[in-house]
Amino acid sequence: MGTMYEILATRLREGRGVLLDGPMGSELVRRGIRWRKHGLLTDAPAVQQLHEEYARAGADVLRTNTFQLNPRVYLNVFRNVQHMRHIGAPGLEDLVPHLYRSSVQLARQARAKAGKESSVAIAGVLSPLEHCFRPDLVPGEEGLRREHEALARILKEEGADFLLLESMNTIREARAALAAGRAAGLPVWVSFVLGPEGDLLGRELLGEAAKEMERGGAEAILVNCAPPEDLSLAVDRLKKATSLPVGAFAMAGRFSPPSWKFDFFPQFVETDEWPPARYVEQAKRWRERGATIVGGCCGTGPGHTAALRRLLGNGGRG
Amino acid sequence: MSYEAIRGALAARRTVVLDGGIGTEILRRNVTWADHQLASKPEFVRGIHEDYIRAGADVISTNSFQLCRRALYNHFRDEAHRRHIGARDLDQRADRLLAASVRLAIDGRDRAGATGRVAVAASVTTLEWCFRPDLAPNPSQAREEYREIFGVVKDAGADLVLLETVNSVGEAAVATEVARGLGLPCWVAFVPDEGGRLFSGETLAQAVAALEPLGVDAILLNCAPPDDITAGMKELAPRARVPIGTYAHIGRFNPPEWMFTDEYPPDKYREESARWKAMGAAILGGCCGTTPDHIAALASLR
Repeated sequence: MGTMYEILATRLREGRGVLLDGPMGSELVRRGIRWRKHGLLTDAPAVQQLHEEYARAGADVLRTNTFQLNPRVYLNVFRNVQHMRHIGAPGLEDLVPHLYRSSVQLARQARAKAGKESSVAIAGVLSPLEHCFRPDLVPGEEGLRREHEALARILKEEGADFLLLESMNTIREARAALAAGRAAGLPVWVSFVLGPEGDLLGRELLGEAAKEMERGGAEAILVNCAPPEDLSLAVDRLKKATSLPVGAFAMAGRFSPPSWKFDFFPQFVETDEWPPARYVEQAKRWRERGATIVGGCCGTGPGHTAALRRLLGNGGRG
Repeated sequence: MSYEAIRGALAARRTVVLDGGIGTEILRRNVTWADHQLASKPEFVRGIHEDYIRAGADVISTNSFQLCRRALYNHFRDEAHRRHIGARDLDQRADRLLAASVRLAIDGRDRAGATGRVAVAASVTTLEWCFRPDLAPNPSQAREEYREIFGVVKDAGADLVLLETVNSVGEAAVATEVARGLGLPCWVAFVPDEGGRLFSGETLAQAVAALEPLGVDAILLNCAPPDDITAGMKELAPRARVPIGTYAHIGRFNPPEWMFTDEYPPDKYREESARWKAMGAAILGGCCGTTPDHIAALASLR
């Protein structure tokens, strides 16, 4: 286990707060970045800049810009792989590993530029292989294991300190991705996207999911990608189900999808309803209910990160 | 109604020129595609329509590729989830933008002084992803959705529907039936594969046999490289009695955008189109990657 993660684990063990950064996708789009290949090819400086802003705002963890990025994102818009080779841009088949490498490098460079190499950890982000809001599309076991393992290995090789499984919508995929992360030798945090009922989007019970992840060797259980008011109840449910550290990061505003399928276009509207001060009021409740890890999901930005830092205090950070 | 001029030209065996790519042309002009730009940059979209008319298009198509309720709703687990976290206008957005796309094309036509000469085709694609026949909804569901879509474009004033990038006979038949039932002229364009078959594995012979009795007004081939269009034409031309047409894509699909290449400059694309015309194509146009210059080159084939 890397030294950087040890520092984080110690902080968690001692019950001190840990601050996750905010989102990459929705904030890059808000800044006018054209959403293609997650901006990793055409707008790498903007990606790095945003990581750096989160680090300077006081985040303890920077997440790689890999949410909803995997080979299926591109393959799914072709008839099949032969069609992709026939009419697709050259190199499309091998693009994702390259993007994953860039994503870790950009987060690491940003951490160095912010002068936080000894205090900030890099979380390699994995998410559902199909659309994170569509539990009905979760692939079969064999694909889950093979595809998550391949991505986890790259994140590990490039120097991610641990793995964050984000917006997982079923126990089945979370279990497979957790095993893949552990096989790659990385500590794993698992975060579930909440449905409107307050359990997993795939309708499984949040408490059951937490217990299953604890058995599978997860180091922390979180909930994300739901409106801020929804997360307090979720934190209660997690605390009842597990002795592992628990965390929460909410969305601000409302998801405004593109008309086409393509890759998940992370555009959020009405985010003004959740300015940092109001968001932090909710985060305070998650903390009171026992959440150790807090951060921001879609629609939040570095302003929210800075406000959350003030909520957590310096917490004995170096 | 402007379609009469087109019907007349086709009946007199004159070549009808269709416009070129809209979505890819938006990208080529360095504007992001995300929301079709119908709400945010309508003048810019209308400008592209006008450019195609000036290039010589007889039929222009609306900027509405994959613009339907289903494409938006697919991003959520279900209605409860959509209402909980989705933007508040999602129930009306697809229909509103679809109608706007038709009005914008009509406006562009009128500004270009082409009223009565140029027809506005409402571009409608498969309900699910165009290259994925495996995802197509069942016929009764599809019928209901096409009724809504075609109703909107008819009310907005479209002269015909151009059902494009179709991957199966079944969905084409349902859509044709609905369009004809509403009294809308209907052109159907299929994507051919390298062997000239539909992506569903069905043949163009099957497509012709299914669509002609339903009153389809033309059958076309689109959104494939020129060689695949030629392969499709070998299957389509000997069997179709209705007018047929072609509009190939040039360059490469680089999701979510398009990669422009110089493999088919306007002159070379004109040569390909001249070959399709010799094979029997009466309608010639361009799909993804083609530009007003390509359409200008086709206009001389009339």
